[in-house]
Amino acid sequence: MSNTLKMAALGLALGVVASGPALAQEPYKIGISAGLTGYAATVDRAWRDGVELAVAAVNAKGGVAGRKLEVIVEDNRSEPQEAVTVYRKMLTSDKVNIFISGCVSAGNFAAAGLVVRAQVPMVLCSILPQQPDQVKWAYTTLPPAGFEVTKRLEYLKEKTDVKKIGVLHDPTPYANLQKAAAEKSAADYGIEVVGVEQYKQDDADLSVQIAKMKAAGAKAILKIGLGGTTLTAAKNIKQLGGDLLMLTSLEDIAVFKPVAEVLGDKFLFVASPSQVYEGLPAGPLKSEIGKFLEPWKAKFQDRDPNWASRGWDGVMLTVAAIEKAKSIEGPAVRDALETLSGFQGTTGVYDMSATVHQGLTKNPFFIATISDGKVKVVQ
Amino acid sequence: MKTLRSTTSPDWRSALRLLPWGLSALFVGYGFVAGGYPATVIGFALVYAVFVTGLNLFMGYTNQVSFGQNAFAAVGGYMSAVLTTTYQWPVVPAMGAGVAAAVLLALVIGYPTLRLKGHYLAMGTLAIGLITYEIAVEWQSVTQGYLGISGIPPLGVGSYEVTSDRGQLALLVAIVLASTFISARIRDSRMGRAFLALGASENGAMALGVDVARTKLLAFLVSAAFAALAGCLFVHVVGYVSPEVFGLHMVILGFTMLYVGGVGSVAGPLVGALIVSLMPEVFRGFKDYQDLAYGAALIVILIYAPRGLASLFDRAKARPRSADL
Amino acid sequence: MTLASAPGDAILETQALTARYGHVRVLAPTDIRVRTGELVAILGPNGAGKSTLLRAILGLTSTTGQVMFQGKPLPRGDAVAVSARGVVLVPEGRGIFGPMTVEENLQLGAYRLGRDKPEFERRLARVLELFPRLGERRAQLAGSMSGGEQQMLAIGRALMGDPKILLLDEPSLGLAPRITAEIFEKLATLRDEGLPILLVEQKAPAALKMATRVYVLSLGRIAASLDADQITSHEDLAQYYFT
Repeated sequence: MSNTLKMAALGLALGVVASGPALAQEPYKIGISAGLTGYAATVDRAWRDGVELAVAAVNAKGGVAGRKLEVIVEDNRSEPQEAVTVYRKMLTSDKVNIFISGCVSAGNFAAAGLVVRAQVPMVLCSILPQQPDQVKWAYTTLPPAGFEVTKRLEYLKEKTDVKKIGVLHDPTPYANLQKAAAEKSAADYGIEVVGVEQYKQDDADLSVQIAKMKAAGAKAILKIGLGGTTLTAAKNIKQLGGDLLMLTSLEDIAVFKPVAEVLGDKFLFVASPSQVYEGLPAGPLKSEIGKFLEPWKAKFQDRDPNWASRGWDGVMLTVAAIEKAKSIEGPAVRDALETLSGFQGTTGVYDMSATVHQGLTKNPFFIATISDGKVKVVQ
Repeated sequence: MKTLRSTTSPDWRSALRLLPWGLSALFVGYGFVAGGYPATVIGFALVYAVFVTGLNLFMGYTNQVSFGQNAFAAVGGYMSAVLTTTYQWPVVPAMGAGVAAAVLLALVIGYPTLRLKGHYLAMGTLAIGLITYEIAVEWQSVTQGYLGISGIPPLGVGSYEVTSDRGQLALLVAIVLASTFISARIRDSRMGRAFLALGASENGAMALGVDVARTKLLAFLVSAAFAALAGCLFVHVVGYVSPEVFGLHMVILGFTMLYVGGVGSVAGPLVGALIVSLMPEVFRGFKDYQDLAYGAALIVILIYAPRGLASLFDRAKARPRSADL
Repeated sequence: MTLASAPGDAILETQALTARYGHVRVLAPTDIRVRTGELVAILGPNGAGKSTLLRAILGLTSTTGQVMFQGKPLPRGDAVAVSARGVVLVPEGRGIFGPMTVEENLQLGAYRLGRDKPEFERRLARVLELFPRLGERRAQLAGSMSGGEQQMLAIGRALMGDPKILLLDEPSLGLAPRITAEIFEKLATLRDEGLPILLVEQKAPAALKMATRVYVLSLGRIAASLDADQITSHEDLAQYYFT
């Protein structure tokens, strides 16, 4: 009893003497709900590593607003229900100041309501929630789904004489958005979509879908969706013969190496700037990527930097917002995030505004191919 | 000597039987007082307790196997989510419609499949669960596929909505108590005895005049209703639904809770749901070893309490073999 | 002997009843009959087809021929309908529900009764009078009782269904002679109260004491039909076993 009293007295005394600096020592907490296990594991582990790398870099320079950054990561197992639990844990037990969460969109959607009620901003890897009151608090580093599609259409228009294409996609929300974008904007590039086929992420054969689109006159296939199905599609295209082109979405370069061995120069893919760093002209983009790639390569060597670079951007956007707001309070940081424009990130320039929370408004992508095991920009 | 034993023993035995309830009350009370994150975990556990109570009716009482209960949760949950968001229905009628739709589906499915026995029934129900999942993914005009449905209103009646953690928890406690009460009443009813009898021996039950096919179907319908109610509660508590919520994951979790809690016992589903939900959170500090610790704890429970935790305290009716016969 | 136990008309009669498992015929055309007030024992060695005969009467195996009960044929392949006619089997190994209490087992016995509480109480009182031990064990799990008690429960549960005839498959199986004797005494009481009983037994002596008539079953056919007082020892019977 007396011990507790002494401790309390001591604490009180310390608090009175050092209340100012003691408060400043409290770290700024970043929560990450990530699918470290489950279907999103590859992407979300990279995202987490990117966030942690950026936090280390910021802390090495003394942190932000006199505070160190601290990262709290919880595994949501790529399940929405788990995501609600871990979001809740980080909100009430860890009292995080902001979420820089991974790509499990269902998980981010499921928790969005309670995050908004707690007035904590989110900078996400995934697409934005659908409810207007939730979008208000959420920002994303994800380029609009249309960019990956229009880049490919642009390439087909300018560099080839392909006029008819097929779209092959999986049922994930991001793939569906890309499919819709392809159907909507193909005509703008003088291209006709002659077939749209869906597959499932664990399908072992796509030749039926591909043959159908080929029969309809498609000369190129826009493949939309991650994982092993890209190699499956490549093999099926080769078996069917002919000179069908395959243009795939953004993906871990490691996945593409065997695909390039199958299809050679008939295989093209959308690449983010960090994936084609060597080939970039000198400038603000290259120098921003350089800041990230140096510690990344030191720690992870040849590992694909794409998703991690967006995690890095998430932290840098947050830091910029705190500095601009001169506050770490949730509403103030939220408001400041909305005013960040012309912000140079590793994936491109972010122009946030009250109506645009998906800040990459200029298409940052390249079309690349792999020859002799080296990534080469073709446009 | 006999009188001595029978006068002293029932007291502590009945006290022991109350232990699972006391333990559950303690957990829920903690969630209620602590609020926040513990309240969320306990809240999910209570939703699952309703789901497992239904599973227990079908698997524990009638001794049948269903891997497809998630299908009914999905039908109930999606129906209620779509009716309240797209069609602006009030919550309670939407939930009622969800449960009714699930029971109807169970009738259509159960009538032919319950004639299957053993592995065939298990495989049949597994297929139903997988098909329902695929429909939730593919029928995008209604379910929005993987994007999910958000903005689902919280539980409540009329203009009164329950939004606070504690309010939600209190409501869920009331629903779980009602479900458990119904389960206990069924257990002690003529219908419940028929469930148990056909669970022990189909031929034996038939010889006593129990219509086995009809009784099985009845158990299936009741369990589907519980699953659908749990599905509805889930979507309104979280405010969001996507196909993954009702995936195979739900079946595995339900089975684990049922076996940890105690198959066939009235208190088992609640105890199992609470323990299985809380364990990963207790081990969360282990980081990468969380799954390992959780798995090890499950194995220990199933070794030392093979009939479930609730059954440890539920032996009050058992007595040693009498020596005189 | 009371009037009720005086042999009367046949209540149960098999007419050229056969049974087969797959392509194997295990029961030759069989004609047996049980009359009101009778306790008929079917005796025979292991494998003679005794249990098969009971299952064939209940229509649980693939059969030809027919079974007349109270002057009308018994349905085949519908155990629920058969039990609704009042034909109740106490199966070999008793078939009690171990995880349920004695009381719950007895309640299940009266399943077809529905919610007729007074009638239920009347039947329960009768069973508990016959087997007071079941009353003492009411709240106990059936599976935790001794073999003799379980056999009593199995018979008690059958009686709860208010049977018009009781079929028993090896009621003495696994029981000490003293307990077998006790159970057979109860069966005699039931017979004297007017309940016809058909039982199948391997252990002849105890059954012979109680039976009004005996069929000897050997290798799937009836080898002999005798009045009980025609036989006094097991040796008398054995001569029929392998003919």
